Amino acid sequence: MVNVTVDPLTRIEGHLRLSTEVDANGVITDSQSSCLMFRGFERILQNQDPRDAALLVQRICGVCPTSHSLTAANALDDLFGVADTIPKDALVARNINQALNFLASHATHIYILWGPDLANPAYRDVLTPLGETGTAVWKEMVGRFAPISYKIDGESVPVGSSYLAAIPEKKRLQEAIAVIGGKMPHQVTSYPGGYTYKPNVADIGKLSSYYLQVMDFVSSYTLRVPFDTWIENTYKASSPQKAVNFVVEHLTDLVDKSVTSNDFSREAGWGDTEFYAAFGSELVGETLLGLPASLKHDKIGGYSDPSKIAFLAYGGFFNPENGDGYDPSSPAGERFLTSGIVTGSLEYQNLDTSKITESVAHAFYEDTADLHPSKGETNPFTDPDAIRFDQGSDSRYSWNKAPRYDGIPCEVGPLARMLAAKEPLVTGLALAFNENGYSAANVYTRMMARIQETAIIANELLKWVTEDYDPNGRIAVDTDLSMAKDSTGMGLWEAPRGALGHWVSTDSNSKVVNYQPVVPSTWNLSPRDSAGVPGPLEQSLIGAKINAAENSLGVNYTNPVNILHIGRSYDPCVSCAVHTIDLTGKNTPRTLRIV
Amino acid sequence: MSTGMKNLARTLDSLDFLKLDRRTFMKAVGALGATAFLGTYKTEIVSALEFAETKIIWLHGAECTGCSESILNGGNPDIIQAINKLNVNLAYHETLLAQQGLFVDDEPVNTSELNSELLVDELIEEGNYILVVEGAIANGPDGSGRYCVIGNRTFKELFEKAAKNANAILAVGTCATYGGITCADSAIADVTDYRGVAFTKEDSSKGMLTELGIHKPVINIPGCPAHPDWILLTVGAVILGKIKVPDDLDTVLDQYGRPIVFFPTDHTVHENCPRRGYYDRGEFDEQIGGEKCLWKLGCKAPYSHADCAIRRWNGSVSMCTQAGSPCIACVEPGFPDSSRPFYVEAEDKGVLLGANIDTLSKAAVGAATVVAGVHAVRRMKGE
Repeated sequence: MVNVTVDPLTRIEGHLRLSTEVDANGVITDSQSSCLMFRGFERILQNQDPRDAALLVQRICGVCPTSHSLTAANALDDLFGVADTIPKDALVARNINQALNFLASHATHIYILWGPDLANPAYRDVLTPLGETGTAVWKEMVGRFAPISYKIDGESVPVGSSYLAAIPEKKRLQEAIAVIGGKMPHQVTSYPGGYTYKPNVADIGKLSSYYLQVMDFVSSYTLRVPFDTWIENTYKASSPQKAVNFVVEHLTDLVDKSVTSNDFSREAGWGDTEFYAAFGSELVGETLLGLPASLKHDKIGGYSDPSKIAFLAYGGFFNPENGDGYDPSSPAGERFLTSGIVTGSLEYQNLDTSKITESVAHAFYEDTADLHPSKGETNPFTDPDAIRFDQGSDSRYSWNKAPRYDGIPCEVGPLARMLAAKEPLVTGLALAFNENGYSAANVYTRMMARIQETAIIANELLKWVTEDYDPNGRIAVDTDLSMAKDSTGMGLWEAPRGALGHWVSTDSNSKVVNYQPVVPSTWNLSPRDSAGVPGPLEQSLIGAKINAAENSLGVNYTNPVNILHIGRSYDPCVSCAVHTIDLTGKNTPRTLRIV
Repeated sequence: MSTGMKNLARTLDSLDFLKLDRRTFMKAVGALGATAFLGTYKTEIVSALEFAETKIIWLHGAECTGCSESILNGGNPDIIQAINKLNVNLAYHETLLAQQGLFVDDEPVNTSELNSELLVDELIEEGNYILVVEGAIANGPDGSGRYCVIGNRTFKELFEKAAKNANAILAVGTCATYGGITCADSAIADVTDYRGVAFTKEDSSKGMLTELGIHKPVINIPGCPAHPDWILLTVGAVILGKIKVPDDLDTVLDQYGRPIVFFPTDHTVHENCPRRGYYDRGEFDEQIGGEKCLWKLGCKAPYSHADCAIRRWNGSVSMCTQAGSPCIACVEPGFPDSSRPFYVEAEDKGVLLGANIDTLSKAAVGAATVVAGVHAVRRMKGE
């Protein structure tokens, strides 16, 4: 058995260590996911004005600050007792802000953080021996996705065309957020009662213009089939089967045109989505399309035991059709992307947040029972020698706690949301993989879900901007600090990386007693729990072959590209996972909470 | 470029960056944007090859990656332009690089083309680089630094090694400069013991460099996040020799190590706030969502030494007060404690920058702070 460790897993937010035991066949038999940093800014809201929360908590994460500040605003709406009166236009403004943040965050992940692994020299070694087709595919991969300052065998590799084109788009999207959010990162417009800024007609014009420019990028690089055609035949398809069929037929047409010319360029119709949809998957690419090779990303990052995993969504984006006000508990079907739990065998259930517990059995905290987050308590180790990351699965090895839903580890993020929302394409892919002996969740479906969610939100964003938002409407209801006296609030929302919840309570002076976020990466990157069950990322590493395309060139412990793919497919955010802004209200000086 | 802009550019051409008087500089760079500004030096940038490559090692400590996000938002110049025009080699940056740390049975493997831990050690060994630090540095628990560990070593160790060999150090963002949010007052701040590079809050004796006994020139670019222009223009100025490190630092930096042109001692956000007219007429919003002055909603712009109101953010499209949110003075060494509670008028709060306004007038915090503060208070009292 060989220990293969990736530390740090770069091109993510924060500092993450993935440690694996690998057998002689290059298969992972055990894994630990370790979050390496503890900031400990717990208590910074305790005894403070709760209105500071939306601005302060977004400092947890500079990649999805909008999500944190809006979740805080939702929790404060509830705390101040005004959630049912928030003007519709404030809710739409929040949607627009969050949608733009989703697009920017997903684009960053796909192109800047995740994409560069497709230019890993392992794929050159796998693909180029396959003749002209393989060589052409490798050229596309390195030509599109190579990062800056990249070298292979001492030769500088030019920056990939898609990578390079994505940077200005990400910037453009951040600029769009600034138009209605003041600045980015750390936009400033979330506040209990509504939204601090009332976007005017000129702002709507600017947002529309940004939108059109971003869609130019999408049609040139990301998706070569017309955007509306794609939406109509996938997201709006009448069944999962029809959505999958449309994609397979579209890809079949492309393959027919390109297979003799070996031209897989964008000009030949292979947008980045089409390219990955075909070549990323063994089932789609090799079995259905008859391609000579694929990256086999559907063989990695899955779960072997459906009873030990579920998919969780809190629900995100308000439905403007519901008018003023919203229900902070996010009942099924109320939000644009619904709340819900999807079991490991793909059955939908309604969300019940009382079933959430957290375990510290494998984290660097003094032991407590498994507790609901609102009752949690955590005493961090202060002995430097006790903070070790290399003592194996039975030890404590992370600053991350282990949240569980009804005792089950949950994956959160685009795949969970698309499954909960029964989105036709992603649901269809998941079912197809299940039926053919693959895990429904895998690196390929996780990435396809992220791509599809980006398209769906882009589609809805235009409606929010041009149809639903009324610049003559009201943007806030009045609030007063006294309204937050002896109160509690819950904010349930979706960050790009998954379900995000904030809980707050106050005393008779309207000062914060308890403030706790439970964030997406805490779920995805969690260590083992008190029953010894590994977290989602850990489970998805176990059983995977470490090298490119199922170790097709033999075992090479020194370039474990599949560990990189699996880890990054969750879009990890370690600052979020170990933010520790949680306030238990229990005043022992060294009591910290990590959620 | 309009004729007026061209004239400005010509004026700039004959002047030395960061030695302009503030008014000229603000007017010029604010109006032109940094690309045009750098463009005015194009006679000097005949070819990128004339500059020796400048290597940058960018380290991430305890942070939210907001400053890296911010630098990717740089519009003028954007990061790729900056890299090309100034011949910058962004040799190590955790969020952007191709590599990652790779270990087999605890030994680093492969080469620096794939292994980031080998890469960073090689780069440090070679020397001759500018070190950029984003995020605070854990000193706790008990000076061990083990609250932040990366690649089998504490961030404190990595920082020490990289700082020792650096030509100069740029601390980017309020966490790296002054500790920021990781150093906010709390019962456990002493346990985690996070430090800024050269300061912790206002105290330079508690900076990590002092703790480690390292003496290196440091430029602080605070902000939560730091504005991309502040970062890229400063890097540009150093590379172009417009700031000579360390000789010029005494004259171009303020007492907290910030470039005075971006963080002027005698200028606050308040002075050019887009809502300033309402303030002058005594018209204030008391609920969110309006368009008047935000003073009564707790705005700290009169205490915030930054050019945000001129430069604005994200392609100059907006800024905090323009979007109806009070300035929280995120560039100040005491942030966030010196600005909290955010939505309560400063005069009610009594404490700013660690002292009340009366004490401030005696302390050497900068006359403008006091003047702006007193001015604001008088206005509020109807004097």
